[in-house]
Parts: sequence; structure tokens; C-alpha cells
Amino acid sequence: MSTPVAPSREDRKRCWESRDIYFSCLDAAQVVVPGEEGTKCDAQKKAYGTDCAKSWVDYFNKRRVLAERQKATLKEVERQRLEAEAKGFRR
Amino acid sequence: MSMLRLLRSTPRSLTRRLALAPASCPAFPRPRPYSTQGTRDQTPLGPSWRAGALFIATGLGLVWYFKSEKAKQIERKEQELAKASYGKARIGGPFSLITHDGKPFTQNDLVGKWSLIYFGFTHCPDICPEELDKMSEVVDAIDATFGQVVQPIFITCDPARDTPEQVAAYVKDFHPRLLGLTGAYDNIKAACKAYRVYFSTPPNTKPGDDYLVDHSIFFYLMDPQGEFVDAYGKSTTEAEVREKVAEAIKSWKPASSKSSS
Repeated sequence: MSTPVAPSREDRKRCWESRDIYFSCLDAAQVVVPGEEGTKCDAQKKAYGTDCAKSWVDYFNKRRVLAERQKATLKEVERQRLEAEAKGFRR
Repeated sequence: MSMLRLLRSTPRSLTRRLALAPASCPAFPRPRPYSTQGTRDQTPLGPSWRAGALFIATGLGLVWYFKSEKAKQIERKEQELAKASYGKARIGGPFSLITHDGKPFTQNDLVGKWSLIYFGFTHCPDICPEELDKMSEVVDAIDATFGQVVQPIFITCDPARDTPEQVAAYVKDFHPRLLGLTGAYDNIKAACKAYRVYFSTPPNTKPGDDYLVDHSIFFYLMDPQGEFVDAYGKSTTEAEVREKVAEAIKSWKPASSKSSS
């Protein structure tokens, strides 16, 4: 019984490229959470699911959502900082 | 003569009253020979410019004193910290694994060469490949400067799937000298514990399962005596690692008679 071999460098590269294509489709549709876009990116999604192991798909999807949330938090922090500076508070 | 005049200047009624008063009566004290012309003597304890100036001068003196004492204390503390040696983290230790060629490899095999050791697993999505590429670049740079003094090593945290054949196929994608190590679960666990590497394999995995291993992301620099020197995290750039490793190699002095743990 042979266990599935780990992806080689080319396999990884192919997976990352499919992922990036799918994610840019999501960006164009202005969707953050993969799966919420309906049928808009179905072709890209299929390629992504084929080229990447399921555990990787889950991991990349989770990371995308986290990164988006982090962006929102950082924007809020920046906005608060500018507000405070405008009011004359110093660091 | 002036005394008499002073006595005479007291109002007549008062003099008569005083003269009639008995000597021992406290209500009517004998007139003292001091001036009653209205100007009162300024005693030195009343508010005056001199007192105010003295007060301010004392205050300033105290402030200066406290400031200089505090500065001295801070300087003392800094000197202490500068001298303090925190000691090295106790990373490293005995381990017993097998190379991707199936040969045994223990901590004694680290002796004689510098080593950069990275803990990961072959099914890693992107972090392990990135870190291993970074490590390869550092090794190439060190090769150019010092010759082949550094041995890059990859130790798996996923012994269930990472057989020697698996690891051999994996390390081929990276530096040609990259040595892969694996072994039985208990030996891997012992090696990770010695290097304080956290890793969590999901429970009840079967070979053929698709899962990711959560693990701490560092690679460790060990000196030619097999002792720990430094650890580099995900956020250190290739240039930073290269500089630190070069610095460590340049300034290294073999430690005299160390007792091996």
C-alpha cells in the first residue's frame, strides 16, 4: 500500500498558481470568503480543487479570510490614529 | 534720660491704673521699656523676600539632587545589564534518527561542521518550502565565503507519512547538500523535545490521510561542537540570517572541555 507522495516543487507551483487565479476571480467578484461567490468562479474553483490537496485548500481559504480581517483591523487602527492626531494628541 | 521720657509718654490714665495695680496681678503687667510708637519690629520669621528666596533655592536644590541621584541609579542599572550574560537557551540534545538514505544519524554526527536544522514536514503547503529555500540561499552564500562548512538539515515532524523515501524525494527539490532526517514517532518526538520544537499531529491519523501539521517555524544554527548558537524565525530575512551566521562563524571559539549531556 503506497501512501500518496508529497507534492514536488512543480506540483506546489501549479497549486499556488491555480489558487492565485481562483482568488483573483474572487477579488474581481469582491468576495472574501471562498464559496460565497456562487457559480461565478466555478471553472477556477475546479482547477484549484484538482491541483491542490484538500487540506491545502482549507488552509489557503482560512488564511485569505484571516488576512482580509487583519486588513480591516489595520485600517481601523490607522483611522483612529489619524483621528487622534487631528485632535492634537501626541504619541 | 530717654527712658524717663518713654515712661512719661505712656497715657496718664494707664500710668495711674498701672501704679494702683498690685505688683503680682497678671492682668496689668508692668510696662516694658519698648517703643509704642506704632512701628512693630519685623521678626525674621514673617513673610519676606529673603525667606521666599531661601525657599525657592532649597526647592531647586532638592530637585537637582533627586535628578542627579536618579540619573546615577539608571546608569548603574544599565551597567549591570550590559555586564549580565543571560546564558544560552538549552536547545539541542541527543537524538537518534535515520537519514533519507536509511543510515543512522545522531547528535554526534553534527560534530565537526556547522549545521542549520529546520523542522517541518513534506506535505507543507508553502511555509516549509519558503524557509528551506531561504536556508539554501544562506548556505550558498556561506559556501562562497567560508567554503562548505555548513550542513543543512531537514527533520520531519510527520513521521507517519514522511518515510525515508518520501524525505529523499522532498529534499531533492532544495539544496543538493540538504540532509533529511526521519525516524520512529518516539524518536522524532524526542528530537523535537530536545530542540523545543512544538508540533501537533492531529490524533488518529492513518497513512494516506490528508492533514497539515501545526509546528513552530524556526531553523537552528549549531556549532561544530554540536552546541546551539542561534535560532532564526519566519520573519528574519535571508540577508539577516546570512549576516548572523557569518558573524557567528567568524567569532566562534571552540569551548574548552565541555561535558556532553
